Amino acid sequence: MRYRLDLTLRHAEGALARVLGTTERRGFRPVAVEGETLTDGDRWHLQMTVEGERPAETLHAQLAKLYDCLHVQVQPCS
Amino acid sequence: MNGARWLAQALVAEGVDTLFGYPGGTIMPFYDALHGTPALKHVLVRHEQGAAFAANGYARASGRVGVCVATSGPGASNLVTGIADAMLDSVPMVVITGQVPTTLMGTDAFQELDVFAMTLPMVKHSFIARRVEDLPMMVAEAFRLARSGRPGPVLIDLPKDVQIAAAAHLPAHAPLPVDAAAAPKDASLHEALALISQAQRPVLYGGGGIALGDAVQDFRTFVDATQIPTVLTLKGLGALPTRHPLNLGMLGMHGSRAANLAVQESDLLVVVGARFDDRATGKLAEFAPHARVVHMDLEACEIGKLRCADAGVRGDIRTTLARLTLPCAAHLHGRNGQARKAWRAQCRQRAQQHAARYDAPGDSVFAPALLKRLSELAPDAVVACDVGQHQMWVAQHWRLDHPRKHLTSGALGAMGFGLPAAIGAQLQDPAARVVCVSGDGSIQMNIQELATLRRYQLPVKIVLLDNQALGMVRQWQELFFEKRYSEVDLSDNPDFVALARAFGIQALHLDRADGMDAALQALLAAEGPALLHVAIDTAANVWPLVPPNRSNSEMLEDAATEAAPAIRASNPLPESTSVQEA
Repeated sequence: MRYRLDLTLRHAEGALARVLGTTERRGFRPVAVEGETLTDGDRWHLQMTVEGERPAETLHAQLAKLYDCLHVQVQPCS
Repeated sequence: MNGARWLAQALVAEGVDTLFGYPGGTIMPFYDALHGTPALKHVLVRHEQGAAFAANGYARASGRVGVCVATSGPGASNLVTGIADAMLDSVPMVVITGQVPTTLMGTDAFQELDVFAMTLPMVKHSFIARRVEDLPMMVAEAFRLARSGRPGPVLIDLPKDVQIAAAAHLPAHAPLPVDAAAAPKDASLHEALALISQAQRPVLYGGGGIALGDAVQDFRTFVDATQIPTVLTLKGLGALPTRHPLNLGMLGMHGSRAANLAVQESDLLVVVGARFDDRATGKLAEFAPHARVVHMDLEACEIGKLRCADAGVRGDIRTTLARLTLPCAAHLHGRNGQARKAWRAQCRQRAQQHAARYDAPGDSVFAPALLKRLSELAPDAVVACDVGQHQMWVAQHWRLDHPRKHLTSGALGAMGFGLPAAIGAQLQDPAARVVCVSGDGSIQMNIQELATLRRYQLPVKIVLLDNQALGMVRQWQELFFEKRYSEVDLSDNPDFVALARAFGIQALHLDRADGMDAALQALLAAEGPALLHVAIDTAANVWPLVPPNRSNSEMLEDAATEAAPAIRASNPLPESTSVQEA
């Protein structure tokens, strides 16, 4: 299954590494990553497309509990 | 006032009274600050892994945040196993590492190591303080995060220039309150209640989340009110006293037959603060095949992770249990009352039928009997285990009455945990009776901490079960690798009695069953730290045993040793199968 992730992160040291590391370790392969700093300079907006066979709800919950993750949305995509 | 001194005062403000560590180049300003902070007792270990495990043991026994400190580079990397253990077993810790000055970070400087990156997957969160002004937020958040929700370790990497930077302008440290745990939703409670009321063969499956949620009493009240037979995970042991009539014991790979069979035959599993760990479930696809699942957990990510829940109750476990107790008890004598009564009787009868026996023949010491006896002689003791066969014997045979009195490296299974964890447990309560149960393999992983024990004259009592082998690995090689023993022989062990005495620790030796009581009583009566070296049979194994990737209903028992090759031949071990302990 392929999913699209929309994340808002603190612009903090390690935030991107934590998100990517968690995603891969929990069984999802990033196939596209795009991101930018939001205008307030304090946050990242990150969009990722990932593939994986495990439940997306679990990935959502794992990402949501990261301290630097302010918002995450996971949606299936074709 | 510099950054290091501000940090020391902040630790005091957070309620820290003890920290475990080892000094070195980049953390020297912090150690200098300890001079002016008598409220902080620093415990000098002999290896940084000992510091992490001691802080870990301190936190497990007390429920408070354990703090450890090390320098950059090798000091920091030596902490890693203890940090990982805290993460996997949800232990609240704050880890402070020195770092090279910010101007040298990223230049491959002497003793520069990116501990922040190294530990990303094994911390609840981590910070690098690149400016002294970062400290107030980072220290407050570190302690809040370590304590809140599912506890865990938080690391603060502290460059040397930040430690020496002027900090007089910083505000006094203000601790943050712990986040309130989310309350369970009414709808989820109703779903759980409906399933519990319909069940005829329910089983409670309790885990480490019970103690973490400070819900031991609520759990016991729930068990007594609902009369549901109960099994516990390794981390859940003690949530119900060993002798409680509804306690069927530990489930899983070395679980009791009564516990495993009850789970396998149940029509409802009520999971309380447990997470379907593979050591508990055996072959997941065949775990509790007839059961529907009510899963209560603080964390959403655990519900449905490995086993779909028919009712997931996310939220504070105390509140969940408290709100379900009376409604569930009302169904005790309802339409399924007779069926449940028969189920309870069946579970109890099986528990009696398969109760462990302690009348092993021969003159040598039978470790399960010794551990059971020691727990009876010291019913108030906190027991810190190392990892391997002795750890499982403690889990099976120690009479426990509270999870915080059982310190065991559950998820990581880290040999070397026991002795430093016992040191931490003793320091969190100097009046406590602390026993460390170790093996000849495990104790040599952190044996240098005998010096710490000696220096602080901590009255920890060590029981060293010496089978002259890496026993758990040996057992697996015997059962699943056609007795091809590979690198498990420790018959050239040092003289542990002489070794302990060289560290200034009094030591005794036991090798006959008829001397057991006298030796245990002498150990417990000893002033200060003491070690009892116990020679046991190399061939003694832990039973029952569920072979890897098999259903929990397929337990091998002692007499079944000869049957193991048949099981192996019919279902070879998957390549990923591993055993990490000895």
